[in-house]
Amino acid sequence: MSPSATHTSLLYASDRDYATEAGGFLRDGLERGHRTLVMAPPSRTEVLRSELGGDADEVTFVDDSIAYAPQWNVYRVLLDFAAAAPGTRSCVIAEQGSGRRTAAELVDYRRIESAINLVFAEHPVDLLCPYDATLPSDLLDIAMRTHVGVRRGGSVADNPGFRDPLAVLTELSAVAVPPAASTTLDCSHPSDVALVRRSVRARGAEIGLDTEVVADVALALTEVLTNALLHGAPPARVHLYEEDGMWVCHVQDGGGSPLDLLAGVVPPAQPADHGYGLWLARQLVSAVDVGSGPTGTHVRLHTRRS
Amino acid sequence: MILGTHRAPSDLGSLEPGTHLCALEQGLARLDRVAATFVAHGLAAGDQVLYIASDREVGELLRVLPGHLDAGQAVGTGQLVTSSFDDAYGSSPPDDLGTVADGFRAAAGLARKKGFPGLRVAARMDPLADLLGSFDAVVEWERMASGLQRQLGVSSVCLYDVGGLAEWQGAALAAEHDGLAPDRDVPAIASFLAVDEPWGLRVTGEVDVSNRELLHRMVASRAAVTPRVRLDLGGMTFADVGTVAGLRSVAAALPDSGYLVLAQVPAVVRRILDATGLGHDKLRLEP
Repeated sequence: MSPSATHTSLLYASDRDYATEAGGFLRDGLERGHRTLVMAPPSRTEVLRSELGGDADEVTFVDDSIAYAPQWNVYRVLLDFAAAAPGTRSCVIAEQGSGRRTAAELVDYRRIESAINLVFAEHPVDLLCPYDATLPSDLLDIAMRTHVGVRRGGSVADNPGFRDPLAVLTELSAVAVPPAASTTLDCSHPSDVALVRRSVRARGAEIGLDTEVVADVALALTEVLTNALLHGAPPARVHLYEEDGMWVCHVQDGGGSPLDLLAGVVPPAQPADHGYGLWLARQLVSAVDVGSGPTGTHVRLHTRRS
Repeated sequence: MILGTHRAPSDLGSLEPGTHLCALEQGLARLDRVAATFVAHGLAAGDQVLYIASDREVGELLRVLPGHLDAGQAVGTGQLVTSSFDDAYGSSPPDDLGTVADGFRAAAGLARKKGFPGLRVAARMDPLADLLGSFDAVVEWERMASGLQRQLGVSSVCLYDVGGLAEWQGAALAAEHDGLAPDRDVPAIASFLAVDEPWGLRVTGEVDVSNRELLHRMVASRAAVTPRVRLDLGGMTFADVGTVAGLRSVAAALPDSGYLVLAQVPAVVRRILDATGLGHDKLRLEP
């Protein structure tokens, strides 16, 4: 058995289709003694349970409202599942509900599906990502570009639409310029971080966000701003604005070091004093853009307005 | 114009250990205020603070220290120590300055033995000229103190009433110090106060990149005395991941019998622990 990962998409046209393909995938895994995990909306889970019957008891089910809240949490669920039995091969189904997504969340969705090919490459895991064939074309494009294989009729074929993950991630790291109307806060000294935090809390309350959401944004922003102060080049600035229904906290610094496209996508492998900031931010807000260019390094934290 | 104001007042929030500051102010009330500001920052940073002053001056300090610093408890735990001028410097001229320096050195060592990361001293200096016999001897003392404090990592503010000094004397004193102590400063965003029973400390306010090192060295200093340390986090309103990671490192380095107890853990710390997996057997959360 190959120790490396596989990443396969499934475009299903009906519940029957889904049950046969996804159910078959899990049943194959169970027969081979693999561990099985399903992250999916309740409607999909029901189909799988009825298809698998008693075998469903051997499958770990995680509701998509937990696994994808926020989206990057899916990596954490995967890592935790793998850590529970290191070395044992896993069969994993990963599917988000078809709810409303903002533009920023769609971009992160593509990053997650693309980076998974690199981050989990050496993990003994077979990942199957089912997509409802009636989904909007922007979502189906993610399915087509980021999966190495396509499952159809019980077997996996090469996906001719697959694109090099590094090329995809590089394209998605283009710098977005803060709009002219944004509020900009300067941050040159460690003691300024508390002042920025205060402003962000006040602004978050003003636009009517829940206290817990504002607390998460304040923590995420603190981490990203601290990285900018410790590892970036001055000046560090925070721009606050709204865009496409999202509240954006945009941290910009002078840049300098080349951008690591996979920075903070997973946590440090061993407990450490550093290296958690960006990972933590991705666990706290709706979407996180990281980009760099002549104007420096830019990290944008997107928070849903509702 | 106050003498020595060619230098900007120092920022007490980021004071390097071993910084030798002075205050050259007109009148006792202004000196009281500089002393209170310096002592408040020292206590908040978790250091032991020694105030060398008269009973009236000590009484005034205890009256004006902000409530969250709990002056009464700080005196009880020995985090705030007060001493009369005579007790600190003696009532007769010392044979040589080395004797006084030895006392200084002993005080710094004692602060560490009592579980404090460092010692800060605020001293009313006006009686010093009489004790040492001349103004020149005071300048000589201050010069020696600069080197000694840098070596020991002891920061201080030397409080002089310029009402009793000629202009050139003020300038001569200012020249022997690293800077001026501010009479007011932005309050620290967090305070780390010693607690004896159970052994540990109480954290209030926000901890981030600007002050987490202070917290970590305070916890390490308490743990060096007794490796079972309880952190009362009931008043902590913010922490970043570096704060939590640092506490984990302190806990992980403790001897087998040691541990850190985190009590009244705020939601933000639980959130960080949950998202990062930075837990440790020796980092125990009180439910």
